[in-house]
Amino acid sequence: MGLEIIVMIKQVPDSSEVVIDPVTFTLNRGAARNVINPADENAIEQALLIKDKNPGTNITVITMGPPFAETALLDCMSRGVDRAILVTDRAFAGADTYPTGLTLAATITKIGKFDIIYAGEESTDSSTGHVGPGVAEFLGIEQASYTSNSWAEDGYVFAERQLEDGVETIKMEPPCLITVLTNANMPREATLRKKIDAMKKGIETWTLANIDLQPDWVGLKGSPTVVKSMRTINEKKREGKKFNVDEMDKFVDELVEKGILTFGVD
Amino acid sequence: MAGLINAEKPSNIDDYKNVMVFLEARDGKIKKPGLEMISVGASMAHKVNEMLIGITFGESVGSMVKEAGEYGCDRVIGYESPDLKDFRTLPYATLLSDLILELKPNILLIPATRNGRDLASRIAVRSRTGVTADCTELDIDPNGRILQARRPTYGESTLAEILCKSHRPQMATARPGIFPVPERKKDAKYESEARKAKIKKEFMKKEIVDFKPKTTVDLTSAKYIVSGGLGLGKASGFKLIQELADEIGAYVGASRPTVDLGWIGKDHQVGQTGQSVRPKVYIACGISGKAQHLMGMKLSENIISINTDPDAEINSISDYIINADLYEVLPKLVEAIRKKKSEFEMQSSNKKAEEKPVKENIEEKKEKKPPQ
Ligand SMILES: Cc1cc2nc3c(=O)[nH]c(=O)nc-3n(C[C@H](O)[C@H](O)[C@H](O)COP(=O)(O)OP(=O)(O)OC[C@H]3O[C@@H](n4cnc5c(N)ncnc54)[C@H](O)[C@@H]3O)c2cc1C
Ligand SMILES: Cc1cc2nc3c(=O)[nH]c(=O)nc-3n(C[C@H](O)[C@H](O)[C@H](O)COP(=O)(O)OP(=O)(O)OC[C@H]3O[C@@H](n4cnc5c(N)ncnc54)[C@H](O)[C@@H]3O)c2cc1C
Repeated sequence: MGLEIIVMIKQVPDSSEVVIDPVTFTLNRGAARNVINPADENAIEQALLIKDKNPGTNITVITMGPPFAETALLDCMSRGVDRAILVTDRAFAGADTYPTGLTLAATITKIGKFDIIYAGEESTDSSTGHVGPGVAEFLGIEQASYTSNSWAEDGYVFAERQLEDGVETIKMEPPCLITVLTNANMPREATLRKKIDAMKKGIETWTLANIDLQPDWVGLKGSPTVVKSMRTINEKKREGKKFNVDEMDKFVDELVEKGILTFGVD
Repeated sequence: MAGLINAEKPSNIDDYKNVMVFLEARDGKIKKPGLEMISVGASMAHKVNEMLIGITFGESVGSMVKEAGEYGCDRVIGYESPDLKDFRTLPYATLLSDLILELKPNILLIPATRNGRDLASRIAVRSRTGVTADCTELDIDPNGRILQARRPTYGESTLAEILCKSHRPQMATARPGIFPVPERKKDAKYESEARKAKIKKEFMKKEIVDFKPKTTVDLTSAKYIVSGGLGLGKASGFKLIQELADEIGAYVGASRPTVDLGWIGKDHQVGQTGQSVRPKVYIACGISGKAQHLMGMKLSENIISINTDPDAEINSISDYIINADLYEVLPKLVEAIRKKKSEFEMQSSNKKAEEKPVKENIEEKKEKKPPQ
């Protein structure tokens, strides 16, 4: 039995390339390559794994972002996603998690029927992890966050949540939303054939006009929070004192003297 | 449910008073990240002469209400029902959102644990307000009683201050392990109330079919961590890491490739896609210090690097560097520590052994996945 799956993805600057300008302390994102948020690659893979097991499944990937986010969507299609929608509008700029969730939920409502919505656990740039559950709340559906695995069986959706103190297995009725952990699986590579298909098929582009929201409900205007300031975190100066391998007694003496090792006294 | 509706500015912002904290619990005990909310919540509330209101849910809440009061809440409300035994998003979100309508708190703090974050954004959306995620600094500006919530972003490199000026409550989730657990006072004065909760059947549809407690403790609150990287060369290298860890009461950490190779469980991974740790001492053995690893540990108080490469990136953020083969260094270091310890023990024979973390059998590590 086929399912209708929607995957939400965000394009982020490659975290290994983001640099902080040492003079202005601002973020130099321009220098960084844009990539699919790593956890979203795992969300895509999770959706594809379900499609592999449940023939007839349809996967739609959506993103709210600037026009160049098209690249990320084409990449998803080259891996086997059926349909891609870019929701883009100047009005969306500056959104905090509230209007981001609202915009995505309104888009999903327009798409219509769905069984599972997948999202990443969090983004690597602003990393709130709040967008997925926010979308579930706007749509009034169940959710399972921080999952390492999920599957469909007998009309139910199962998910394994990794918590700090244990692993929880959840059973839910669709429709529901699931957020996927980075490293939950090994994302598959795009194939050349699917790449060609993706280029042929192309993506759909929607704007504010397509999703029936008022302009002042989205973007900066619709955001309850504002980023007031940003500063670089002052890193501690580290001495890098050297000890060689035959000086371990001396080394341990120093650690104890400085109170770094205490052997249960504190 | 929220429905597709915008965030709404309340007209009566001055009616919102006091700081509310959600005290996450399991099995009738408030968890450490919950207790941490009390210290930071109380200092903000008392700064503007308001109350700290603690909220706790469970199958029965008597002992937790007492705990919350003795740890420093001015008022405690506990909701009890067999349906609240385990965390479930919808019943928890509904009760907390209803309490917001009833009590109109100016600020609501929730621990930034996985369940806490699962809950926080749903409550924010339902209450049509904003939430700042995973804060490490929280303060209140008495002028307007504005919450100043600061959070690390972009891989711990930048601290952003985020405000929610015209919506209420001002919400934040607070990172575990940052704020202190307050002192428990048996003679503390507090108001308390246990309420019976009625949970709608439709909110209980999500079933928890299984819960497997983890034997490993999370690294985020560890005081000492000894981590191994690819420099170990083989899975059994972690035995050496464990040996040093046992000696100083440390937890075992790891770089991602060692986890990917199956040398050690994912729970041990430190870094961007693992855990963010800030122990008193972090000992990196055979770890090069690539950006994604540093992100998760560079806030450690003291960093010790054991590496054959004098130019390894990790050395540039290390307090101590031992430039040698870890297979030579670790046995000698363990021996030196044992010697030092026995000197200490002779000095004061009746000192208690330090609490040791639960040990995990490294050789038995195999990822288990349920049948699909
Ligand atoms: C420094 C900084 C700090 C910020 N802190 C906060 C804060 O504390 N609170 C707040 O409300 N806002 C905050 N923001 C705003 C926030 O970056 C935006 O709301 C952003 O659109 C979504 O948040 P996120 O990246 O944290 O998403 P997350 O919630 O971490 O993303 C989780 C998942 O949701 C999906 N998703 C997220 N964004 C999109 C998208 N645009 N399209 C499709 N799917 C998506 C993806 O599946 C993603 O993996 C901050 C912004 C900056 C620059
Ligand atoms: C999206 C993304 C997310 C990532 N997330 C993480 C993450 O969360 N955590 C993480 O750790 N990595 C992460 N990585 C991987 C990261 O980029 C590095 O590849 C990884 O941290 C390197 O691990 P390592 O230091 O163990 O190995 P290497 O870089 O191979 O370093 C091994 C070190 O051991 C030293 N060495 C060799 N032999 C000995 C010896 N006998 N004695 C002493 N020293 C010796 C070498 O000099 C070298 O410095 C991520 C990567 C990506 C792309």
